[in-house]
Amino acid sequence: MGVLPNKMLHSTAKRHTEAFAALLAMFLVIFMLGGLTWTAPAQAEDELNCVLCHKFRGLSRIDEEGRFRLFYINENLFMKGPHKRVMCLDCHRDIKKIPHDPAEKVNCTVECHLTEPSSKQNFTHAPVKEILDASVHSKYDKEGNLKDYPEDYPGCKDCHEQPLYRPLSFFKGESAGISRRGLSRCKSCHQTGDFAEDFYSHVTSRLQKTRESREIVETCAKCHADPAFQKRHGLDNVVASYKETFHGKAVTFGSDETADCMDCHVVYGESVHSIESHTEPTASTHKNNVAATCRNEECHVKAGEAIASYQVHTDYSNAEKYPMQYYMLKFFQGLMAAVLYFFIIVIFLELLRRLFPNFCFIKEKPTDAKSVLQNSSSEKGA
Amino acid sequence: MSDRYPKINYRNGKRFFFRFSLMQRVQHIILFSCVITLGLTGFPQRYYNEAWAEPLFTFMGGIEMAPQIHRAAGVVLICLFFFHTGYWMYLFYRNKLKPLIKERNLGPGTFFKAFMSMEMMPNAKDGRDIVQMFKYLLYLSPKPPQYDRICWKEKFDYFAPYWGIPILGPAGLALWFRDEFTQIFPGWLLNAFYIMHTDEALLAGLFLFFVHWYNVHYAPEKFPLGTVFLTGYLSEADMIHEHYAEYVETMTEQGLAHEIKPQGHH
Repeated sequence: MGVLPNKMLHSTAKRHTEAFAALLAMFLVIFMLGGLTWTAPAQAEDELNCVLCHKFRGLSRIDEEGRFRLFYINENLFMKGPHKRVMCLDCHRDIKKIPHDPAEKVNCTVECHLTEPSSKQNFTHAPVKEILDASVHSKYDKEGNLKDYPEDYPGCKDCHEQPLYRPLSFFKGESAGISRRGLSRCKSCHQTGDFAEDFYSHVTSRLQKTRESREIVETCAKCHADPAFQKRHGLDNVVASYKETFHGKAVTFGSDETADCMDCHVVYGESVHSIESHTEPTASTHKNNVAATCRNEECHVKAGEAIASYQVHTDYSNAEKYPMQYYMLKFFQGLMAAVLYFFIIVIFLELLRRLFPNFCFIKEKPTDAKSVLQNSSSEKGA
Repeated sequence: MSDRYPKINYRNGKRFFFRFSLMQRVQHIILFSCVITLGLTGFPQRYYNEAWAEPLFTFMGGIEMAPQIHRAAGVVLICLFFFHTGYWMYLFYRNKLKPLIKERNLGPGTFFKAFMSMEMMPNAKDGRDIVQMFKYLLYLSPKPPQYDRICWKEKFDYFAPYWGIPILGPAGLALWFRDEFTQIFPGWLLNAFYIMHTDEALLAGLFLFFVHWYNVHYAPEKFPLGTVFLTGYLSEADMIHEHYAEYVETMTEQGLAHEIKPQGHH
């Protein structure tokens, strides 16, 4: 570096500073532009201007039961969500005046003002409720009587936590994949409004798994991993035993290729709302159907019928239900303890012996080389 | 072997005693490379719940790659198992059976005796050595055991993978080819193989980490690393300490009986 004159060094440094400043300015502009796009208000179906109040991030209160309730609506999220074309009052029907009283819980089975394009009927989630009511997750048994602990059975929002109910989930950047090129083909005819964009994103988001397998397991775990819940309904800790399987482990490590709860507990090709108890002959987990469930075209295609006898939800501490697993585990634990304790004791004694190498309780005469040879060669008679 | 590898080598005026041929050292390197790879890709799956599991698993290639690496290392290890079986059989034939055939002395009795005289086979001296070791360790004898060429600990080290691979390997293969497996065998066998695979692996891992690594890494005179697995030769001090019987025998054989040092203490 010594060859460079001082002046030149100075000017290089200056040029660097300028370049840095330019870069910084560029980044600032990019961030500001990004910020502008982010905060640009989306067009909501908000005739009553609900966001006038609900746009405030701190809009919240502690309700009568002492729970913290957040009433902030993130418009950007709402406009990316599945309900963006639904008006607030379509679901919140009990609101008649503004400012309003505490609103009732939303009923997802009402008809909203959207029309379903193929039938021209008003749209409703009621068919999903019918399927759910026929499933193991219904509050009512087959005779129509209320089951024990009906409050434990899930409603729509217990599983469908759409981002609106979780204001921070936009950090995860979840959205449907939109191919602009694909969309351009729709747009050549469907030129008006957001029709093409809306339907395209609706269809593409329905075509793919909208949730990670990990998230599905966590959704089921909200109830099924709760010990009190298991006790009330006489269920095993199926979440814990699932997580011990290769399926569970792969999902824990982020795989979406492997089976989550839905893949085994829903009959292949049926609605996920139709989960039945394994005692029902039509259930995917009924003993006559397990093989078919495992061997469906996306999973263990090449497997034999015998795959049905694989025990997925193994509780290794339950000797009565899983004797083979229990006793095998005990055997290996015993073997491990025996081997490791033996050697660790030897190592420990060896280290202790080094403390007093010349001490001994019993005196013996020292060995000479001759006796060493005799001792070892006695084995080599052959 | 002995002609390629002199029993005593001199480096900087110090004696080094032959222990492992290049072939054996290479086999050992393949063995531990596979075992470490299998451990790094396998244990995060066993302990999926621990904080270190996911970062380590991600480092090893994540759910897409780590299982592939695990299987590849497993295949190499199984190949090594078969290779090694062929290797010791060849040595057994060349060193033990061929002389017997030449002497026209090969019968069931002599075959068995020859088989049991292989250096890795456990024998009565090992039993006596273990008793002597405990006497020494409990300060009941001033004499440390005088181990022969392969001491009982090394035999245990040897048979640990030699029984471990036949347990872990087939179980791993069954879990890998689970679909094909269930064409022939019942599915619950996979439950059994899963336990066999993961618990035998844990035993092997813990044994290697605590016991084997103590013997070759942590022990005060070895720390940080005993070099015999690379050079194939053991220093005189280590030889006296670990294989005194063989030391005396080799020195006597090489006409160095007058230079034999006493076994002494640690």
